[in-house]
Parts: sequence; structure tokens; C-alpha cells
Amino acid sequence: MAVYKRGYQRYEGTRTTAWERLMVLPRYSWSRLITQRLVIAVLMMSAFWPLLCAIFIYIANHGELLAGFGQGFQRFLAVDGNFFRVFMSVQSVFAIALAAMTGPGLIAPDLANNALPLYFSRPMSRWEYVLARLMVLGGMLSAVTWIPGLLIYGMQVGMAGSDWFSKYWNLGLAVFVGFLMLVLLTSLVALASSAWVKWRVVAGALVLGFFFVLAGAAQMMNAIFRDKAGSLLNPIYLLERLWMSMMGIDSPSESEPGLVQCVFALLGLCGLMLLVLERKLRPVEVVK
Amino acid sequence: MNLWAKQVLTIARLEVRKAFLSKRGLWVYVLALFPAVIFLVHGFDVKLKRQRWSSQITDHALLEGVQAGETASDVRMRLGPPLMDREFGRRRRGEDGERLEEERYRHLRYFDGQRRYDFHFTNGVLKEKFEQPLATLEENSQVFAGVFQYFYLRLAVFFGCLGIFMNLFRGEMLDKTLHFWFLAPVRREVLLVGKYGAGLVAAAVIFGAGTIVTFLAMLWGLDPADVQAYWQSAGPGHLFWYTVATVLGCVGYGSVFLAAGLLMRNPIIPAVVILFWEAINGFLPAVLQKLSVLYYLQSLCPLPPPVDKEVPAVMRVLLAPAEPAPAALAILGLLGVTVLVLWVASRAVRRLEVNYATD
Repeated sequence: MAVYKRGYQRYEGTRTTAWERLMVLPRYSWSRLITQRLVIAVLMMSAFWPLLCAIFIYIANHGELLAGFGQGFQRFLAVDGNFFRVFMSVQSVFAIALAAMTGPGLIAPDLANNALPLYFSRPMSRWEYVLARLMVLGGMLSAVTWIPGLLIYGMQVGMAGSDWFSKYWNLGLAVFVGFLMLVLLTSLVALASSAWVKWRVVAGALVLGFFFVLAGAAQMMNAIFRDKAGSLLNPIYLLERLWMSMMGIDSPSESEPGLVQCVFALLGLCGLMLLVLERKLRPVEVVK
Repeated sequence: MNLWAKQVLTIARLEVRKAFLSKRGLWVYVLALFPAVIFLVHGFDVKLKRQRWSSQITDHALLEGVQAGETASDVRMRLGPPLMDREFGRRRRGEDGERLEEERYRHLRYFDGQRRYDFHFTNGVLKEKFEQPLATLEENSQVFAGVFQYFYLRLAVFFGCLGIFMNLFRGEMLDKTLHFWFLAPVRREVLLVGKYGAGLVAAAVIFGAGTIVTFLAMLWGLDPADVQAYWQSAGPGHLFWYTVATVLGCVGYGSVFLAAGLLMRNPIIPAVVILFWEAINGFLPAVLQKLSVLYYLQSLCPLPPPVDKEVPAVMRVLLAPAEPAPAALAILGLLGVTVLVLWVASRAVRRLEVNYATD
């Protein structure tokens, strides 16, 4: 007679779909992040600028309020590509700050506590795990980027009418696609930093360092070489060139890198981050 | 030597080795030496260009005589074959958003032995003429002033100190080793001073040396006679004040980040706030500008940084740097702030409880 006997039966119940399984991670992460006071504070702060822009649009579209002002002031109130570029630049600062605060907590604790085998022993691949984490950040960052961006654009279209829309239809697309690119890059940087250093606090510093130190290093190289090729190292510059090009306001000087080079540099940065994630996210690690 | 001083030295000796040689801190060296590497590459590039272009020198008077409106073929015929002849077309968008006809651009480059001349033609007619010395001491000093104040102080020293000083206590928390220090028969204030001393020595040596190497690299590739004259006049003074500003930057930022690491579980928040405060420093009223580390460090710099030509006019109007503080006041002010911040940190470290679970 066996001293230990255990039988198994295959699970025959209803299976969840791949999409539902994928959404488990974002669902729990969002509910955890939304309870953090700091995240709420940054989200609230990031709403101020769109609010100011909405007021600007309201004033710009009410000619009767501007009757007493000169031509120069009325030109200042034009809602065009430059307006949306400034809007996007300001919001991108909040997006980077938010990514630096929320991103490092997504992967680093799993690595530090050896939790990856628990994830990967379930029906979830490494890339699904990365995608799920990207969705967490993408969702958070969308709230400060393309969602307010499209609301502002929609407000302007509603107030200015079809003439303005037919002239500036590309701005809405530029806001959406440009912000998506920003969300993708900042999310990948935050996740890669989180996977690289394993510690939340250090990873947060690394995210800030990536954007600010690279921007500074690019400016420094431009100053020393009296050239603009160093700008290819600056992720913020690359994104701004892409935005401006989509908005039709890109007028680079002769020495500045071309748009194609900027796009390739952006893709290169994204590829580098994916490579870091590929190297660091292993369910089993052999320590020699 | 009394007991506390001995304990401070022992702690500093143990920590300083970790600060200099830890694998986790190697990026600080990269940050400190990166400008030096770029200046060296530039110096090499200048030497190489001078050597290559010297075989094709054009008369200075002929180059000066070229006027706007001349055609490319006329200029080429008069000056001879250029160093560079590049031609390309570009479609430009008009103000109303409609595409315009393609325009042809042509760039010709010449060298007179000291300066390079760039002629930019649009549709065959000279529109712009640029004249630039290959590299001069005055120009390089201006570039160094900009690199030092915009990159080195604001970013390299800032993030370097963030990494070094945050690691002193928060790093021990992450490594789950802080309790070993707390179990030793040593006052926490003594531990704080010992760790701060170690961090300061590491940061000051790494970034101070980085400043000196970058300064020397800036001079490399320039005319030796100019460099010698510079060393006999303002050079040593400039190098001294840049190094003092770097070391005081480490003193100031170091104390702030050490305190931040003790007072807050996530020191990134104060780091973001300080980074933002320092970034908008130039736009603030004079009184508020004095409430930053950067104001005192900039007061010590021998040359003001150049203002970027691409900065919009509105921003230039808003940019109002406060009158620099006298050197003695700047040094005393920074040291005073550091003592105050360390006192706050010493109060915090007395109340610190080890809680590894949260990190």
C-alpha cells in the first residue's frame, strides 16, 4: 500500500482569454498606483496646464474680448502648431516625472524579490509581461498626455469651426501620434531602468538622469563641436522634431540632423531599452 | 585625538573605499570625465582639420571680398577649388501650409590658415557667409564656461552627488546592512559625519579632478603660444575658481541629498524639486535666486555662461540673473547652509528606524 498517493485531474472549467489574463497585471497595478498620494498630486498638477490652455483657447476664440488689443496681441493668441508644440513640451515634463515615480515600482520589486518565476510559471510569456507593464505606464501617462491633448484640440475645433479644422487637421493627428511616441519611449525607459538596477529609488533617479543628463550631454557636444549632430543623443529634442514635423512647423537649420535621422535615433533608443529588458527579464538567473 | 574624531575617521576610511571603488558607483566617473573626453576629441579634430586643410589655403583678402548676391560659379572661379562643395535640394512649406517649389542649396567651404569660411548659396546666389576660427582660446573659454555651468554643475555634479550621498544611508537600507552600523557603539551623529566626510572626499576628488582634466583638455589643440600666455595671465586663477566651485558644489548638494535620503523614503521627490528649482533659477526674482546652491556656485565662476542664441526672445527678457555674491560671502553662505542641513540630518538620523520591508 502506498504511503503517499496523490491524483491529478486536468482543469476542465472555463478558461480566461489571453487578453483577460494580460489585463490582470495592469488592473492590480493601476488600483495600487491610484492610492498613492504622490501620484494623485502629480496627476492633479499636470491638469493645470491643459486648464490654462483651455482658457487660452476660449479667449482666443472670442474676438469681442480682444477688441481693444493690438494686432500683436491677437497674433500672440493664435492657436496653431506652435501653441500645440508648447502644450506638448510642458505636458511631457509631467509625463517624465510621472514615469520616474511610477515606473520603477513595476519591475524592480519583482526582480529584487525573485518573483519572476511566479509570473512565468503561469500562462504568460516574457513579452506579455513587458506588454502588461507597458500598459500600466501607458494608461497612467495617457491621462497626462494625449487625452488632455485631444480634449484641447477638440475644444478648439468646436470653437473655431470647420475652416480651422480643414487648415489644421494634422495637428490632432500630431498630438495623438506624438504623445503616443512619448508615452512609448518614457515607459520603455522607466521599465528598462527598473529592470537594470532592481531598486525602485535608484531606478527613479536613472529615469530622470536618462532624460536630463542626455539632454545636457547633447547640448554640451553641440557647444564643443559647434555643430548640432549631438542633438541625436537628446531624446526630448528627437521627440520635438518629430512633433514639429507632423505639425508642419519644423524648420531646422542646415547643421541640424534630418528628420529621418531623428526617427532612426528614436527607434534606436527604444530598441536599446527593449534589449535591456530582454537581457534582464529572465525567470531563472544563474549566479556564478 | 578624542574618541569621536577617531570614530569619524574610522567610519570615513571604511566608507571612502566603498565610495571610490564600488561597482555601483562607476557611472559617476563617466559623468565626471565625459566633458573631458568630448573636449579631447574636439582638440584632436581641430588638429586633424588644421593639418588636412593646410594644403589648400586660400588668400584671406580674396575670401573677405566675397559679397552677398554673387553666384556660386563666380566665387568658385575666383577662389579656386573649395575644401567642401555640397549641393542639395529641399522643398519648403509656405506660411499658408502649401508646398513651395524645390529650392537648390549649395555650400562651399574655404580655409585661410586660421579661419574657415562657409558660403551658403540658394538657387545659385550667395545668401549667407559664415566665418569661424578653427578654435580660439577665447571661444573655447566661453564654451567651457557654458559647459561648466550648464552641464557640469547643474547635471553632472548634481546627479553624481545624488548617487554618492543618497547611497550612504539609503544604499545601506537597500542592502539591508544599516543595522550593522546602528549596532556599533557609536553615536549616530558621529556615523553621519563619518559617512558625509567619506562621500565628500569621493565626490570632491572625482569631480574636482574631472574639472581639472576637462580644463586641460579644453586647452589641448589650441595655439601653444596662446595657451602659454593664458597660463601666465588668467589661466591659473580660472582653474582655481572652477575647482573651488566644483568642490563647494559637492559640499552643498552632498549635504542636501544626504539629508533627503534620511528624511524621505523616496529621495527622488526632493531631487526633482531641487532640479526644477535650480533649472528655473535664472528666471526667479533676485531674492529667490539666492535660495539655491547654484547661485553661490555661479558667483564663484570666473566667466559668465554664454546665452544660447536659440533661446526665444521672451525667455531672454525673463532671464534676469541676480548680481553675483562676493566670493567670500558665497563660500561662507554655502558652508553655512551645509552646516544647517547637516544639523537637520543629524536630528533625522537620531530618529531613524531601520525598516527594510518598504524598500
